[in-house]
Amino acid sequence: MKLRLSKTVAGVASSALLLMTVPAIGLASASGAAAKPTFTIGYEGPLTGSNAQLGLNMVFAVQLAINNANKTHALPFNLKLASYDDQGSPTLSPAQASSAVHNKTLVAIVGPAFSGATRAAEPYYSAAHIATVSPSATAAALATGKKNNNFMRVVAGDDVQGAADAKFLVKTKSVKSLYVIDDGSFYGAGLAAVVAQEAKSLGASVTPNSYPESGSCGGTASASEYTAAATQIVASGATGLFYGGYYCDFGLLLGALNSAGYKGVVMSGDGSLSPALITGTSPASAANNVYLSVAGGGSANLTGKLATAYRALSHFPANNATYAAQSYDATNMIIAALKKVYKAKISVAKLRPAIITALHKLVYHGVTGKLSFQSNGDLNAKTIVDFSQVQNGQIVSVGHS
Amino acid sequence: MINYFTSHFDTLRLEFWPLLVGGLASGFIYAMVAIGYTLVYGVLRLINFAHSEIFMSGGFASYFVIRAVIGTSQPSGLESILLIGLGVVSGGAAGALVAVLVERVAYRPLRRRKAPALAYLISAIGASYFLFNLAGKEFGRYLYAYPTIFVNHPVFTIFGAGVQMYYVVVAIAGVIMLITLDRVVAKSKLGRSVRAVAQDAETASLMGVNIDRTIVVTFLIGGALGGAAAFLYGITSGVIYTMGFTPALKAFTAAVLGGIGNIRGAVLGGLLLGVVESLSVAFVQGSYIDVAAFTVLVLVLLFRPTGILGERLGRSA
Repeated sequence: MKLRLSKTVAGVASSALLLMTVPAIGLASASGAAAKPTFTIGYEGPLTGSNAQLGLNMVFAVQLAINNANKTHALPFNLKLASYDDQGSPTLSPAQASSAVHNKTLVAIVGPAFSGATRAAEPYYSAAHIATVSPSATAAALATGKKNNNFMRVVAGDDVQGAADAKFLVKTKSVKSLYVIDDGSFYGAGLAAVVAQEAKSLGASVTPNSYPESGSCGGTASASEYTAAATQIVASGATGLFYGGYYCDFGLLLGALNSAGYKGVVMSGDGSLSPALITGTSPASAANNVYLSVAGGGSANLTGKLATAYRALSHFPANNATYAAQSYDATNMIIAALKKVYKAKISVAKLRPAIITALHKLVYHGVTGKLSFQSNGDLNAKTIVDFSQVQNGQIVSVGHS
Repeated sequence: MINYFTSHFDTLRLEFWPLLVGGLASGFIYAMVAIGYTLVYGVLRLINFAHSEIFMSGGFASYFVIRAVIGTSQPSGLESILLIGLGVVSGGAAGALVAVLVERVAYRPLRRRKAPALAYLISAIGASYFLFNLAGKEFGRYLYAYPTIFVNHPVFTIFGAGVQMYYVVVAIAGVIMLITLDRVVAKSKLGRSVRAVAQDAETASLMGVNIDRTIVVTFLIGGALGGAAAFLYGITSGVIYTMGFTPALKAFTAAVLGGIGNIRGAVLGGLLLGVVESLSVAFVQGSYIDVAAFTVLVLVLLFRPTGILGERLGRSA
């Protein structure tokens, strides 16, 4: 009886399965003939968590580029966005990458946004031959020099940014003794190391130190560590400070420096370039006079009609939306590459590697300038690093390298 | 090796006093949070792992109250003092409220059913996850910075180290609250019943002590101190849904360091931990600040397994 029952159950189940698959197959072929296929462009970056603002800046620009392409390009396919929220964290990004890889319509990724997350996710994307065009992952080591690398970026690496920052501090601001702090992240430590090395070679004395990301900003260290950090910086007598890390922790450090009465020149890189740095610093005036840098026309904003459309999507203004313009360009480059290699009935499995090859050949005139990739994934153009300063609670451009 | 030490003692000479002052300030905050662990442990023999979220509730409550009251004004003088008072009271009230709720929802049903100790632990972790995820969902997963409550400039100097207003505020608020608590537990009827339940719950109940009420009071006092500490912590470190985790872990460490169940031990442990942590940055990199704290804990427990002052809420305090 027991056996018969299980057989019956198996029989019912298998016929149900058959019933379910048959119409599904029918549907797929019918829609393939009638409508345009839909491909997905993924975005991976922080959409929640304490550094979410940078990711939100980007994802709305990706959405804008996709919307515009669907509306105006008269493409032989439809595009849609799938976003993968890694919170900027290297521990969360492999799961997001793996889920992107298994998305059957996904052809390429804009991102990943953060360098540490990118390093952790790349093995998954690389194995699936998915092009990842990052608008913001700047760690120098990510451009591996591998031929036909699937990792590309539309910003310059931190070797360029760090060297320019060191020169700015030591030459322009005459800092003779520099304190360099990093947050222990792949990005922060990498950038800080370049700044320290370049500043030394320019003749400044350098004191490096590392304070890991705090519990207030997604890490695990006590936020009170910055009190100790500020004490050490003041006691060291350094006339300049460089911070390699993201805006959330940098804001806490600025608050502590203000309390400790630090008077030197303070600078950080693109990870801190966000209006959220000012709202996250207490008192907000402690962020005044801080210098911020970003490489590769990174302070380029979406303007005119694009800015209006961006604001309608995101509900925040496009100026100061760091990396929105890069994300817009990265998405359009992927769309241009997809357009070149698309043929009727081509499978996603064939499209993915074809897009990588097409991207490496592409010369694209975007809102951030003329863009093309070297074989290691870095930009071809000679990069300019832009400097800005917080003045009365606003981030104001103060020139470039 | 000798060079290593001379160079580090050189830095220490320069940095000692400011680091000591900064360490004492975080020490006071650890102490206030540690009391919450120690009181509950003393009475229920249970580690309230949801205490980190009681702390966080106090941080959010005082942040919203202070932000609403300050608006765009630039407080100074008497206004600042009143605002600090308001922050301490609103943080304390929210902490107390959430602590009592946690006791009601997560612990009392288990106590009624005489559940094993492990069930309390799971219940506490559940309450903790529920509360911080709820806060993340309701308030967003990003850092809120307090508006300026007072101008944080050095008020006076000790041995050349400027002592900032923030440290003065933390020290004064901390000392007032800790002394009040110590007196309440030592002298009042309320404190006597807390100590009686800690010593022997069954006998205390035979003597007419209302156990349920005493336990609620214990949670209430611990929660109030934790919530108020969150306000003092948040002034510099901001408020975020995960803000409780690290300071509460440190405070728990401080409670164990001083002797869990022992109020004065929790205060001593908190101050000691804050100072050791702060001074350790002069010797090792900033990244080792947490390692130093736990190294001290392990060393102390090796020689005094029950903590510096030992476990004894019931006996003296």
